[in-house]
Amino acid sequence: MRDNPRLERTIERLLSDPAYDDHPLRCALADLYAEFRDALYQIDRIASISDRYQSNAREVTLSLTERYRKQLRQLGKLARISDRYQSMMRDLNEALKEASTRDALTGIGNRRLLMERLKEETARAERMGRPLTLAIADVDRFKSINDAHGHDAGDKTLIEIAATIEASVREYDVCGRWGGEEFLVIMPEIGAVEGAAVIERVRQAVRGLQVNIGGQVIAISLSFGIAQRHAGESLSETINRADAALFAAKRAGRDRYEMAE
Amino acid sequence: MENLNIESTQSTPSICADPETGTVRMRGDSYPENSYELFSPVMDWIEAYLRDSDRLLTLELHLLYLNTSSVKAMMDIFDMLEEAHGNGRKVAVNWYYDEQNERVAELAEEFKEDCSFPFLVTSLVD
Repeated sequence: MRDNPRLERTIERLLSDPAYDDHPLRCALADLYAEFRDALYQIDRIASISDRYQSNAREVTLSLTERYRKQLRQLGKLARISDRYQSMMRDLNEALKEASTRDALTGIGNRRLLMERLKEETARAERMGRPLTLAIADVDRFKSINDAHGHDAGDKTLIEIAATIEASVREYDVCGRWGGEEFLVIMPEIGAVEGAAVIERVRQAVRGLQVNIGGQVIAISLSFGIAQRHAGESLSETINRADAALFAAKRAGRDRYEMAE
Repeated sequence: MENLNIESTQSTPSICADPETGTVRMRGDSYPENSYELFSPVMDWIEAYLRDSDRLLTLELHLLYLNTSSVKAMMDIFDMLEEAHGNGRKVAVNWYYDEQNERVAELAEEFKEDCSFPFLVTSLVD
Protein backbone atom coordinates (compact mmCIF):
# COMPACT_ATOMS: atom_id res chain seq x y z
CA MET A 1 0.00 0.00 0.00
CA ARG A 2 1.55 3.30 -1.04
CA ASP A 3 1.23 6.01 1.55
CA ASN A 4 -0.58 8.40 -0.71
CA PRO A 5 -3.55 10.46 0.44
CA ARG A 6 -4.12 11.41 -3.18
CA LEU A 7 -5.02 7.81 -3.96
CA GLU A 8 -7.96 7.97 -1.56
CA ARG A 9 -9.12 11.28 -3.01
CA THR A 10 -8.86 9.85 -6.54
CA ILE A 11 -10.90 6.78 -5.62
CA GLU A 12 -13.56 8.84 -3.87
CA ARG A 13 -13.77 11.17 -6.86
CA LEU A 14 -14.10 8.26 -9.30
CA LEU A 15 -16.77 6.59 -7.19
CA SER A 16 -18.83 9.75 -6.98
CA ASP A 17 -18.55 10.54 -10.69
CA PRO A 18 -21.93 9.69 -12.33
CA ALA A 19 -20.10 9.12 -15.62
CA TYR A 20 -18.90 5.76 -14.24
CA ASP A 21 -22.21 4.70 -12.67
CA ASP A 22 -22.66 1.89 -15.19
CA HIS A 23 -19.02 0.87 -15.43
CA PRO A 24 -18.62 -2.82 -14.42
CA LEU A 25 -15.50 -2.01 -12.36
CA ARG A 26 -17.23 0.72 -10.38
CA CYS A 27 -19.16 -1.70 -8.18
CA ALA A 28 -16.05 -3.80 -7.57
CA LEU A 29 -14.03 -0.71 -6.66
CA ALA A 30 -16.77 0.52 -4.31
CA ASP A 31 -16.84 -2.88 -2.58
CA LEU A 32 -13.07 -2.99 -2.33
CA TYR A 33 -12.93 0.53 -0.90
CA ALA A 34 -15.62 -0.34 1.66
CA GLU A 35 -13.65 -3.46 2.64
CA PHE A 36 -10.55 -1.32 3.07
CA ARG A 37 -12.32 1.20 5.29
CA ASP A 38 -13.87 -1.57 7.34
CA ALA A 39 -10.48 -3.23 7.83
CA LEU A 40 -9.11 0.10 9.01
CA TYR A 41 -12.02 0.52 11.42
CA GLN A 42 -11.37 -2.94 12.83
CA ILE A 43 -7.69 -2.27 13.33
CA ASP A 44 -8.55 1.06 14.99
CA ARG A 45 -10.71 -0.85 17.44
CA ILE A 46 -7.94 -3.27 18.31
CA ALA A 47 -5.11 -0.79 18.42
CA SER A 48 -6.65 1.50 20.99
CA ILE A 49 -8.55 0.84 24.18
CA SER A 50 -10.97 3.65 23.39
CA ASP A 51 -12.28 4.91 20.10
CA ARG A 52 -12.36 8.42 21.51
CA TYR A 53 -8.73 9.05 20.72
CA GLN A 54 -9.02 8.27 17.00
CA SER A 55 -11.73 10.87 16.64
CA ASN A 56 -9.57 13.79 17.67
CA ALA A 57 -8.42 16.44 15.26
CA ARG A 58 -4.99 15.11 14.41
CA GLU A 59 -6.20 11.61 13.59
CA VAL A 60 -8.85 12.95 11.21
CA THR A 61 -6.26 14.89 9.25
CA LEU A 62 -4.25 11.71 8.67
CA SER A 63 -5.01 9.81 5.52
CA LEU A 64 -6.47 6.33 5.83
CA THR A 65 -3.24 4.73 4.76
CA GLU A 66 -1.28 6.83 7.22
CA ARG A 67 -3.63 5.77 10.00
CA TYR A 68 -3.37 2.16 8.93
CA ARG A 69 0.42 2.30 9.04
CA LYS A 70 0.41 4.06 12.38
CA GLN A 71 -1.86 1.40 13.88
CA LEU A 72 0.26 -1.40 12.50
CA ARG A 73 3.35 0.21 14.00
CA GLN A 74 1.53 0.55 17.35
CA LEU A 75 0.47 -3.09 17.31
CA GLY A 76 4.01 -4.18 16.58
CA LYS A 77 5.30 -2.12 19.47
CA LEU A 78 2.53 -3.37 21.72
CA ALA A 79 3.43 -6.99 21.03
CA ARG A 80 7.11 -6.27 21.61
CA ILE A 81 6.52 -4.54 24.96
CA SER A 82 3.99 -7.13 26.11
CA ASP A 83 6.40 -9.93 25.29
CA ARG A 84 9.06 -8.25 27.39
CA TYR A 85 6.68 -7.87 30.33
CA GLN A 86 5.75 -11.53 30.06
CA SER A 87 9.35 -12.62 29.92
CA MET A 88 10.07 -10.43 32.95
CA MET A 89 7.26 -12.14 34.86
CA ARG A 90 8.43 -15.58 33.81
CA ASP A 91 11.97 -14.88 35.03
CA LEU A 92 10.60 -13.46 38.26
CA ASN A 93 8.53 -16.60 38.70
CA GLU A 94 11.62 -18.77 38.17
CA ALA A 95 13.60 -16.70 40.66
CA LEU A 96 10.82 -17.01 43.25
CA LYS A 97 10.58 -20.73 42.73
CA GLU A 98 14.34 -21.05 43.10
CA ALA A 99 14.31 -18.87 46.22
CA SER A 100 11.46 -20.85 47.77
CA THR A 101 13.34 -24.16 47.53
CA ARG A 102 16.87 -22.96 48.42
CA ASP A 103 18.28 -22.47 51.87
CA ALA A 104 19.25 -18.80 52.04
CA LEU A 105 22.42 -19.38 54.07
CA THR A 106 24.01 -22.45 52.50
CA GLY A 107 22.53 -22.33 48.99
CA ILE A 108 21.59 -26.03 49.03
CA GLY A 109 17.98 -27.28 49.06
CA ASN A 110 15.79 -26.28 52.00
CA ARG A 111 13.27 -28.33 53.93
CA ARG A 112 10.53 -27.55 51.39
CA LEU A 113 12.63 -28.98 48.56
CA LEU A 114 13.54 -32.01 50.67
CA MET A 115 9.89 -32.71 51.51
CA GLU A 116 8.91 -32.45 47.83
CA ARG A 117 11.67 -34.82 46.78
CA LEU A 118 11.04 -37.20 49.70
CA LYS A 119 7.40 -37.55 48.67
CA GLU A 120 8.35 -38.11 45.02
CA GLU A 121 11.09 -40.62 45.81
CA THR A 122 8.99 -42.49 48.37
CA ALA A 123 6.14 -42.82 45.86
CA ARG A 124 8.56 -43.94 43.15
CA ALA A 125 10.28 -46.50 45.40
CA GLU A 126 6.89 -47.92 46.42
CA ARG A 127 5.58 -48.04 42.85
CA MET A 128 8.68 -49.58 41.30
CA GLY A 129 9.62 -51.73 44.27
CA ARG A 130 13.05 -50.08 44.39
CA PRO A 131 15.26 -49.38 47.43
CA LEU A 132 15.51 -45.91 48.93
CA THR A 133 17.79 -44.82 51.75
CA LEU A 134 17.79 -41.62 53.82
CA ALA A 135 20.46 -40.18 56.06
CA ILE A 136 20.05 -37.42 58.61
CA ALA A 137 23.25 -35.64 59.64
CA ASP A 138 23.80 -33.41 62.62
CA VAL A 139 26.86 -31.22 63.27
CA ASP A 140 28.66 -32.41 66.40
CA ARG A 141 28.85 -29.89 69.23
CA PHE A 142 27.64 -27.08 66.99
CA LYS A 143 26.54 -25.01 69.95
CA SER A 144 30.09 -24.86 71.25
CA ILE A 145 31.31 -23.49 67.88
CA ASN A 146 28.68 -20.73 68.12
CA ASP A 147 29.47 -20.07 71.76
CA ALA A 148 33.26 -20.00 71.32
CA HIS A 149 33.52 -18.20 67.97
CA GLY A 150 30.21 -16.40 67.42
CA HIS A 151 27.31 -16.88 65.06
CA ASP A 152 29.25 -15.74 61.98
CA ALA A 153 31.66 -18.63 62.60
CA GLY A 154 28.71 -20.98 62.98
CA ASP A 155 27.23 -19.74 59.69
CA LYS A 156 30.57 -20.11 57.89
CA THR A 157 30.85 -23.66 59.21
CA LEU A 158 27.36 -24.59 57.99
CA ILE A 159 28.14 -23.16 54.52
CA GLU A 160 31.33 -25.21 54.23
CA ILE A 161 29.65 -28.38 55.50
CA ALA A 162 26.78 -27.98 53.03
CA ALA A 163 29.20 -27.56 50.11
CA THR A 164 31.19 -30.59 51.27
CA ILE A 165 28.13 -32.84 51.58
CA GLU A 166 26.88 -31.78 48.17
CA ALA A 167 30.27 -32.50 46.59
CA SER A 168 30.58 -35.93 48.27
CA VAL A 169 27.21 -37.55 47.51
CA ARG A 170 26.35 -39.28 44.24
CA GLU A 171 25.04 -37.33 41.27
CA TYR A 172 21.43 -38.48 41.78
CA ASP A 173 21.37 -38.01 45.53
CA VAL A 174 19.61 -34.98 46.92
CA CYS A 175 20.94 -33.14 49.92
CA GLY A 176 19.47 -30.21 51.78
CA ARG A 177 19.34 -28.38 55.06
CA TRP A 178 16.75 -30.10 57.21
CA GLY A 179 16.85 -27.60 60.09
CA GLY A 180 19.33 -25.56 62.17
CA GLU A 181 22.48 -27.73 62.02
CA GLU A 182 20.78 -30.78 60.52
CA PHE A 183 21.17 -31.96 56.95
CA LEU A 184 19.34 -34.67 55.07
CA VAL A 185 20.57 -36.85 52.19
CA ILE A 186 18.11 -38.74 49.95
CA MET A 187 19.72 -41.72 48.19
CA PRO A 188 17.42 -43.33 45.62
CA GLU A 189 18.04 -46.81 44.20
CA ILE A 190 20.35 -48.03 46.98
CA GLY A 191 19.93 -49.88 50.26
CA ALA A 192 21.39 -49.14 53.68
CA VAL A 193 24.75 -50.85 53.05
CA GLU A 194 25.53 -48.93 49.86
CA GLY A 195 24.05 -45.82 51.48
CA ALA A 196 26.44 -46.23 54.37
CA ALA A 197 29.37 -46.25 51.92
CA VAL A 198 28.19 -42.90 50.50
CA ILE A 199 27.73 -41.49 54.01
CA GLU A 200 31.16 -42.72 55.12
CA ARG A 201 32.63 -40.74 52.20
CA VAL A 202 30.71 -37.65 53.36
CA ARG A 203 31.81 -38.17 56.97
CA GLN A 204 35.48 -38.35 56.00
CA ALA A 205 35.24 -35.33 53.70
CA VAL A 206 33.70 -33.24 56.49
CA ARG A 207 36.33 -34.52 58.93
CA GLY A 208 38.98 -33.27 56.51
CA LEU A 209 37.51 -29.78 56.36
CA GLN A 210 39.80 -26.98 57.43
CA VAL A 211 37.41 -24.28 58.60
CA ASN A 212 39.42 -21.20 59.34
CA ILE A 213 37.87 -18.98 62.01
CA GLY A 214 39.93 -15.87 62.68
CA GLY A 215 43.21 -17.65 61.97
CA GLN A 216 42.24 -20.68 64.03
CA VAL A 217 41.42 -23.94 62.27
CA ILE A 218 38.57 -25.76 63.98
CA ALA A 219 37.73 -29.43 63.68
CA ILE A 220 34.28 -30.31 62.38
CA SER A 221 32.49 -33.63 62.44
CA LEU A 222 29.01 -34.96 61.69
CA SER A 223 26.98 -37.78 63.15
CA PHE A 224 24.58 -39.66 60.88
CA GLY A 225 21.51 -41.81 61.14
CA ILE A 226 20.85 -43.98 58.10
CA ALA A 227 17.52 -45.67 57.34
CA GLN A 228 16.52 -47.73 54.35
CA ARG A 229 12.83 -47.41 53.58
CA HIS A 230 10.77 -50.50 54.36
CA ALA A 231 8.13 -51.54 51.82
CA GLY A 232 4.75 -50.02 52.72
CA GLU A 233 6.29 -47.68 55.26
CA SER A 234 5.18 -44.05 55.43
CA LEU A 235 7.64 -41.23 54.88
CA SER A 236 7.51 -40.06 58.49
CA GLU A 237 8.17 -43.59 59.75
CA THR A 238 11.39 -43.78 57.70
CA ILE A 239 12.44 -40.33 58.92
CA ASN A 240 11.75 -41.29 62.53
CA ARG A 241 13.92 -44.39 62.23
CA ALA A 242 16.76 -42.31 60.70
CA ASP A 243 16.36 -39.86 63.57
CA ALA A 244 16.59 -42.63 66.15
CA ALA A 245 19.75 -43.97 64.43
CA LEU A 246 21.24 -40.47 64.54
CA PHE A 247 20.55 -40.33 68.25
CA ALA A 248 22.31 -43.70 68.65
CA ALA A 249 25.36 -42.37 66.72
CA LYS A 250 25.53 -39.38 69.05
CA ARG A 251 25.34 -41.64 72.08
CA ALA A 252 28.00 -43.93 70.66
CA GLY A 253 30.52 -41.08 70.63
CA ARG A 254 29.71 -38.85 67.57
CA ASP A 255 31.62 -38.52 64.25
CA ARG A 256 30.07 -41.78 63.05
CA TYR A 257 26.95 -43.23 61.48
CA GLU A 258 24.47 -45.74 62.77
CA MET A 259 22.04 -47.73 60.66
CA ALA A 260 18.43 -48.05 61.68
CA GLU A 261 16.90 -51.48 62.25
CA MET B 1 -10.49 21.55 37.71
CA GLU B 2 -10.63 18.66 40.15
CA ASN B 3 -8.02 16.39 41.64
CA LEU B 4 -8.14 12.79 40.53
CA ASN B 5 -7.58 10.16 43.20
CA ILE B 6 -7.83 6.48 42.38
CA GLU B 7 -6.83 4.11 45.16
CA SER B 8 -4.61 1.18 44.27
CA THR B 9 -5.93 -2.37 44.39
CA GLN B 10 -4.13 -5.67 44.12
CA SER B 11 -4.39 -5.48 40.33
CA THR B 12 -4.44 -1.74 39.66
CA PRO B 13 -2.06 1.14 40.40
CA SER B 14 -2.83 4.18 42.50
CA ILE B 15 -3.43 7.18 40.26
CA CYS B 16 -3.36 10.78 41.52
CA ALA B 17 -3.65 13.88 39.36
CA ASP B 18 -3.20 17.36 40.76
CA PRO B 19 -4.03 20.41 38.60
CA GLU B 20 -2.14 22.72 41.03
CA THR B 21 1.19 21.06 40.32
CA GLY B 22 0.26 19.71 36.90
CA THR B 23 1.31 16.18 37.81
CA VAL B 24 -0.19 12.77 37.22
CA ARG B 25 1.28 10.11 39.47
CA MET B 26 0.83 6.37 38.90
CA ARG B 27 2.25 3.74 41.19
CA GLY B 28 2.10 -0.05 41.24
CA ASP B 29 1.12 -2.96 39.02
CA SER B 30 -1.57 -2.67 36.37
CA TYR B 31 -3.48 -5.69 35.19
CA PRO B 32 -7.11 -4.59 35.44
CA GLU B 33 -9.96 -6.60 34.00
CA ASN B 34 -11.19 -3.49 32.28
CA SER B 35 -8.45 -1.10 31.20
CA TYR B 36 -10.91 1.28 29.60
CA GLU B 37 -12.67 1.77 32.92
CA LEU B 38 -9.40 2.39 34.75
CA PHE B 39 -7.65 4.65 32.26
CA SER B 40 -10.58 6.63 30.80
CA PRO B 41 -10.77 9.03 33.77
CA VAL B 42 -7.01 9.57 33.47
CA MET B 43 -7.21 10.31 29.76
CA ASP B 44 -10.19 12.61 30.37
CA TRP B 45 -8.28 14.43 33.08
CA ILE B 46 -5.20 14.86 30.87
CA GLU B 47 -7.34 16.06 27.97
CA ALA B 48 -9.10 18.61 30.19
CA TYR B 49 -5.84 19.79 31.77
CA LEU B 50 -4.22 20.30 28.37
CA ARG B 51 -7.33 22.15 27.17
CA ASP B 52 -7.94 24.35 30.23
CA SER B 53 -4.41 25.21 31.27
CA ASP B 54 -1.25 26.27 29.50
CA ARG B 55 1.15 25.02 32.16
CA LEU B 56 3.57 22.11 32.24
CA LEU B 57 2.16 18.59 32.52
CA THR B 58 4.38 15.97 34.17
CA LEU B 59 3.72 12.25 34.48
CA GLU B 60 5.46 10.67 37.48
CA LEU B 61 5.44 6.94 36.90
CA HIS B 62 6.33 4.17 39.33
CA LEU B 63 4.79 1.39 37.30
CA LEU B 64 6.00 -2.19 37.55
CA TYR B 65 4.00 -4.85 35.72
CA LEU B 66 1.60 -3.81 32.94
CA ASN B 67 -0.72 -6.19 31.14
CA THR B 68 -1.25 -5.80 27.41
CA SER B 69 -4.27 -3.52 27.57
CA SER B 70 -2.51 -1.31 30.13
CA VAL B 71 0.45 -1.08 27.75
CA LYS B 72 -2.00 0.06 25.06
CA ALA B 73 -3.47 2.64 27.42
CA MET B 74 -0.02 4.02 28.26
CA MET B 75 0.86 4.18 24.56
CA ASP B 76 -2.36 6.16 23.97
CA ILE B 77 -1.53 8.51 26.85
CA PHE B 78 1.99 9.07 25.48
CA ASP B 79 0.39 9.76 22.07
CA MET B 80 -1.75 12.47 23.70
CA LEU B 81 1.39 13.99 25.22
CA GLU B 82 3.23 13.75 21.92
CA GLU B 83 0.42 15.60 20.18
CA ALA B 84 0.36 18.30 22.85
CA HIS B 85 4.12 18.61 22.56
CA GLY B 86 3.73 19.02 18.80
CA ASN B 87 1.33 21.89 19.51
CA GLY B 88 3.99 23.64 21.59
CA ARG B 89 2.88 22.46 25.04
CA LYS B 90 5.40 21.60 27.73
CA VAL B 91 4.99 17.98 28.78
CA ALA B 92 7.35 15.55 30.48
CA VAL B 93 7.48 11.99 31.72
CA ASN B 94 9.62 10.74 34.61
CA TRP B 95 9.63 6.97 34.86
CA TYR B 96 11.18 5.75 38.09
CA TYR B 97 12.49 2.24 38.60
CA ASP B 98 14.15 0.24 41.35
CA GLU B 99 17.81 -0.53 40.70
CA GLN B 100 17.00 -4.10 41.70
CA ASN B 101 14.81 -4.36 38.64
CA GLU B 102 16.66 -2.96 35.62
CA ARG B 103 14.17 -4.61 33.28
CA VAL B 104 11.55 -2.02 34.18
CA ALA B 105 14.02 0.56 32.85
CA GLU B 106 14.41 -1.37 29.58
CA LEU B 107 10.63 -1.43 29.19
CA ALA B 108 10.34 2.29 29.92
CA GLU B 109 12.95 2.86 27.20
CA GLU B 110 10.74 0.95 24.75
CA PHE B 111 7.84 3.28 25.51
CA LYS B 112 10.14 6.28 25.18
CA GLU B 113 11.27 5.29 21.67
CA ASP B 114 8.67 7.26 19.69
CA CYS B 115 8.40 10.20 22.10
CA SER B 116 10.10 13.49 21.25
CA PHE B 117 9.16 15.25 24.52
CA PRO B 118 11.40 15.00 27.64
CA PHE B 119 11.13 11.42 28.88
CA LEU B 120 13.41 10.53 31.76
CA VAL B 121 13.99 6.96 32.89
CA THR B 122 15.67 7.14 36.26
CA SER B 123 16.52 4.99 39.24
CA LEU B 124 16.33 7.99 41.56
CA VAL B 125 13.39 8.40 43.89
CA ASP B 126 11.31 11.53 43.45
